[in-house]
Amino acid sequence: MRGIYTPVTNIRRQVFAEVARLAYEGGEYARVEEIPFRIIPGEVPTYRDSIFLERAIVGERIRLAIGLPLYPADQPTHISKGVEESAIAEKVYEPPLINVIPFACNACKEKSVEVTDNCRGCLAHPCTSVCPVKAISIQNGRSVIDNEKCIRCGRCVDICPYHAIVKFDRPCAAACGVDAIESDHLGRAKINYDKCVSCGMCLVNCPFGAIADKSQLFQLIHAIKNGEDVIAEIAPAFVGQFGPLATPEKVKAALKLLGFSKVVEVAIGADLGAIEEAHHYIHKIASGEEPFLATSCCPAWSVMAKRDFPEVAPYVSDSLTPMVATARIIKNENPDSKVVFIGPCAAKKLEASRKSVRSDVDFVITFEELMGMFVAKGIEFGDIETNEVFDDATAAGRGYSVAGGVADAIANCVDELYPDSDIKIDRAEGLRECAKMLRIAKAGKRDGYLMEGMACPGGCVGGAGTMMSFAKASTAVKEFQNASEDKIATKSKYANKED
Amino acid sequence: MVNDIKVEVCVCTECVMRGAMDLVESVESLKKLKRYLGFEGNINVETNKCLGNKKDGHHSLVAAINGKIMENADSETVMEKVISMIKKDVK
Repeated sequence: MRGIYTPVTNIRRQVFAEVARLAYEGGEYARVEEIPFRIIPGEVPTYRDSIFLERAIVGERIRLAIGLPLYPADQPTHISKGVEESAIAEKVYEPPLINVIPFACNACKEKSVEVTDNCRGCLAHPCTSVCPVKAISIQNGRSVIDNEKCIRCGRCVDICPYHAIVKFDRPCAAACGVDAIESDHLGRAKINYDKCVSCGMCLVNCPFGAIADKSQLFQLIHAIKNGEDVIAEIAPAFVGQFGPLATPEKVKAALKLLGFSKVVEVAIGADLGAIEEAHHYIHKIASGEEPFLATSCCPAWSVMAKRDFPEVAPYVSDSLTPMVATARIIKNENPDSKVVFIGPCAAKKLEASRKSVRSDVDFVITFEELMGMFVAKGIEFGDIETNEVFDDATAAGRGYSVAGGVADAIANCVDELYPDSDIKIDRAEGLRECAKMLRIAKAGKRDGYLMEGMACPGGCVGGAGTMMSFAKASTAVKEFQNASEDKIATKSKYANKED
Repeated sequence: MVNDIKVEVCVCTECVMRGAMDLVESVESLKKLKRYLGFEGNINVETNKCLGNKKDGHHSLVAAINGKIMENADSETVMEKVISMIKKDVK
């Protein structure tokens, strides 16, 4: 449901705005209990059977937005429990990142193939003829599927002339590329955290809004209010996310109005990574020393590749991700600062909590969460006049935010640095497709290749924390790329500093 | 005489959070239905810095069709309104 504004989107965004407002206003945090009444006013339910349930779910969302764990539904407690203690200038995070709110879950059936009322009980009934396991019989003039026998191949779905047979899957499970969605004892979705890579696709695809990730905006606002030197590094997918009035320059100015001392493009780190991976490709892969090179910038993809494909693991690039590379540059120049990664991504929250990254990146927030901060602070892009410019990165680095952009950036570096060499590329978007590509690689059919993996369909612009459809976002990124003076990563002004 | 329809969508921060860009896309999608509906006029979508006069968010999202303000607008009501105007015009 990306790019369509639904009641689920509406509630999610209001929660971020209200939590941001609460943090900005400060004072007695017990009044967090009032927020569900503001978001769900009145006495008549709008979305579910009961307004009390609606408010309880909003309450859980508020807790997650503050970074707190869900409260147990079977024990007496308050939304505000732990809020006061969380009002600190440091990240509050306790796994898991992605949470199913159990009583918001509709307990949708697991994958099945079903005959709908469209079945006319036709004479031909080709559904029975194509079924490889004889699971379909005609009873009382219509097709009936024996779910014990059915292997869910979908042949009957394709052949029915009345489109009467449908393949049904839970939207969360269908969106999950690593099959991490299981069921609890009441048939509700339950995440298997041994499999989950926190890409966030389930949370944007659940039509009941039953899945949410934890946020860090509450603590970030406290860090800013404390007067700390807070620097934003912003991922290139941000362009266009905040509406037509929010030009990239105005977004920079708006971030400074929020209290960020500097705003730096994450695409700097992307430029540096592209150069490093181009060298690596020529020295190790083109030379035949290693079979292939898998990109490392998308954390959900690289975690899956390393964990589920141990044969591939050694060949996942060890270049720093753009988030970390850029954060290190910032911390090098501003050792006492706090760095905030602002991006479209849920998995980056997890990446930033790794031991090796914890000291580089202090907070991670999404565009949607940032929008809540803009609304809470009453920032109007139409009223901003600014001389700010964005000139940190090249078009190549900015292109990392769109599927295909990482491979393009590396290929262009190879062309520039090693004009006599060729580069072979394969790429995939969506974790299911990524896993397919890795199986092919494991079978030895991608030797000599650079493989780009993106967990979100469309690339980062399709991430879980975005504000608009990825088609429009991709166009906006293209314009931002064109606005960059330098096109190839090797032209990055940070490239020579490294040598 | 065929009348053009002008839809203005407020894109203040509050309205963008409440789906202004998605509304713009919905209204633009109606252009594809023009032939099907036999409508020969134009559907023009414009974004506006601030259509409402209150910033408390209780009226977001705000849109205007041919100058007539609609508060708490969403895709379905705005699309329905535009189509009903087209139908009147086509008759």
